[in-house]
Amino acid sequence: MNLSFLPLARLTAWRDRMFNQPPDLDEIWRDVNEKISRFFGGGKKTDKQQTHQFGNTPPPAGNDGGSQPPIPLSAKTMGKSFGMVFGAIILMWLLTGFYIVQEGQQAVVTRFGKFKGADAGGITGAGVNWRLPYPFEAHEVVQVSQLRSVDVGRNRVVQTSSGTNANGTTPSLRDSSMLTQDENIVDVRFVVQYRLKSSSDYIFNNRDPDEAVILAAESAVREVVGKGTMNTVLNEKREAIAGDIVKSIQAQMDAYKTGILISSVNIQNVQPPEQVQAAFDDALKAGQDGDRAKNEGQAYANDVIPRAEGAAARLREEAEGYKARVVSQAEGDASRFKAILPEYQRAPQVMRDRLYTDTMQQIYSNVTKVMVDSKQGSQLLYLPLDKLLQAAAGNDPSAATTAGSAASTPTTSASSNSIPMPSNPANAGRSRDRDAR
Amino acid sequence: MNKMGFAISSALLFLAIGLSCLFVVDQRQFAVVYTLAEIKEVITEPGLNFKLPPPLQSVTFIDNRILTLDSPETRAIQTAEKKNLVVDWLIKWRVKDAKQFIRNNNGADLRTAEGRLGPLVQAALNEEITKRTVKDVLSTDREKIVQGVKERLLDDAKTFGIEVVDVRIKRVDFPASVADSVYSRMVSERKQEANRLRSTGAAEGERIRADADKKREIVLATAYKEAQILKGQGDAKAAAIFGEAFGRDPQFASFYRSLEAYKTTFAKKSDVMVMDPSSDFFKAMKSSGKK
Repeated sequence: MNLSFLPLARLTAWRDRMFNQPPDLDEIWRDVNEKISRFFGGGKKTDKQQTHQFGNTPPPAGNDGGSQPPIPLSAKTMGKSFGMVFGAIILMWLLTGFYIVQEGQQAVVTRFGKFKGADAGGITGAGVNWRLPYPFEAHEVVQVSQLRSVDVGRNRVVQTSSGTNANGTTPSLRDSSMLTQDENIVDVRFVVQYRLKSSSDYIFNNRDPDEAVILAAESAVREVVGKGTMNTVLNEKREAIAGDIVKSIQAQMDAYKTGILISSVNIQNVQPPEQVQAAFDDALKAGQDGDRAKNEGQAYANDVIPRAEGAAARLREEAEGYKARVVSQAEGDASRFKAILPEYQRAPQVMRDRLYTDTMQQIYSNVTKVMVDSKQGSQLLYLPLDKLLQAAAGNDPSAATTAGSAASTPTTSASSNSIPMPSNPANAGRSRDRDAR
Repeated sequence: MNKMGFAISSALLFLAIGLSCLFVVDQRQFAVVYTLAEIKEVITEPGLNFKLPPPLQSVTFIDNRILTLDSPETRAIQTAEKKNLVVDWLIKWRVKDAKQFIRNNNGADLRTAEGRLGPLVQAALNEEITKRTVKDVLSTDREKIVQGVKERLLDDAKTFGIEVVDVRIKRVDFPASVADSVYSRMVSERKQEANRLRSTGAAEGERIRADADKKREIVLATAYKEAQILKGQGDAKAAAIFGEAFGRDPQFASFYRSLEAYKTTFAKKSDVMVMDPSSDFFKAMKSSGKK
């Protein structure tokens, strides 16, 4: 550094100036204008040059040289054409400093590679902007408000271990597969959406920050899933998992100062791996089957119990009926007896005989009779009972009808009908009870 | 003309030399200035800088951003309970001391540095994981492992002139061969669960059925009991009524009831009666009216 070439010294001085106090745009502009006007010889048309674009004006003949550093005082003879060309070049050069930033973008401006700082206009928004042309300043355009998204856990099959599965013919673990705390494997796929919160951080602090998001997401999801059991991951806490993943990724992004803001994590798919999907489905089905069995049992109960209640009601009602009937019959029989009793007491013998005779008459007139005078002879009497019964059975329908229709005494027939009633239905009722039991 | 040509060429020469003396250090870079292949200066601040022209001084740039090193290969690591785990990791690192970095790295190439860093991280991770069980690695001790690896890397990082910003465990999985048995275990667990669900469902269904049957029996029996009580009451009442009525003349009542009973017993033609003429009914038949 001790070598003291003349240009070297000048350059060093210039560098220091650039370094210590960044040149003001206006100052440079003024400087350039002044130099150009001096270059054109400070002639008659200076005013015009200042208001107008200098390239258009024909420069005057006399000029005493510009003070551009690389061009020392040797251009006197070149005349006005040289000046014109030089001015045009300068103009073009200055024009390259314009740049357009689209809506939703930001431009980060660096001066000699150094970020100008957010306060000093280092970040410019949408619109037409101007910076110092090429060697001095540069800009980089970044998509800021655009929501970027990245899929994590694609169907890519990863190589899981060096030896066993190197050929990849038996794909066994997917990119989205991960272990839970209870050593089960689940597939999780999700989309991370993010945008930038600081374009300068995004540009300057990390090489490939977008890749960093993917890696951070993969790391985060495994951390979160690794802390839960398979059941909690699969069933219960989807939203909670998403929230934890966001937090974890954001913490990493902040730690690396990537300038990235994670806006959301959408979990698309949490499921058991396809190798065990069938078993999981079957377990789900089993739950349904179990419910079905329960429901069928319930259906049976719903069928049986009301029926039983109905039957019980019938029993009870029948018993009520029986009671009422028995009591009524008893009352009827009793009152009949009570009615006849005073008459009997008035003349017992007569009444007895009459009743007896009446009854026997009624009986004998109905039945098939065989009269045997046992005292007349002691010889064996042949009674063809079976024939008699057969004959009686053959005659029975007609006999019954004749007996019914020819019943000349309605009182006796009525009484004969009324008597069987108490015994028969009672028997019937009892037998039904037995059936029901 | 001659003079003019000399002026222009000398100007161009000055320009060329001047430009070769200038260099820009980007925000994202360190610049290392070599004087005759010896590191003269490391410029960490971005901006315009000055050096001697090429044969005397040259400059090399090194990325100073945070870089990611993804585990280059995955190798199974044995845990404390002798299970194999495949652990993918990544580290975030950056060049901190460029001079040191270049000296230890034989140049400014980041790739060779990563090539040497990878095995170191892998070794550190292996040591941390071998001490722990699968469950520790998966859930509880993740932070501790990361911390342990970071500490183990501290010295190496210093000699390399780098800073390890972060160590992350990315993927923790069983090797493919083990994964298959994990799957079959999961399947068997599901089967177990399925059978449990089915049988508990069936048991519950059966219980409900049995309960229904029980209820039916109870309902019917209760009803029977009530019915019998009612019938008994009816019978008792009837008996009381009969008793009250027939008790007035028991003899006649018995006679009267007997006659009624005969009537009902012999009511049909098919009833065959073998009669003896000596019975009361035929008294008149024999004695022909006289007493």
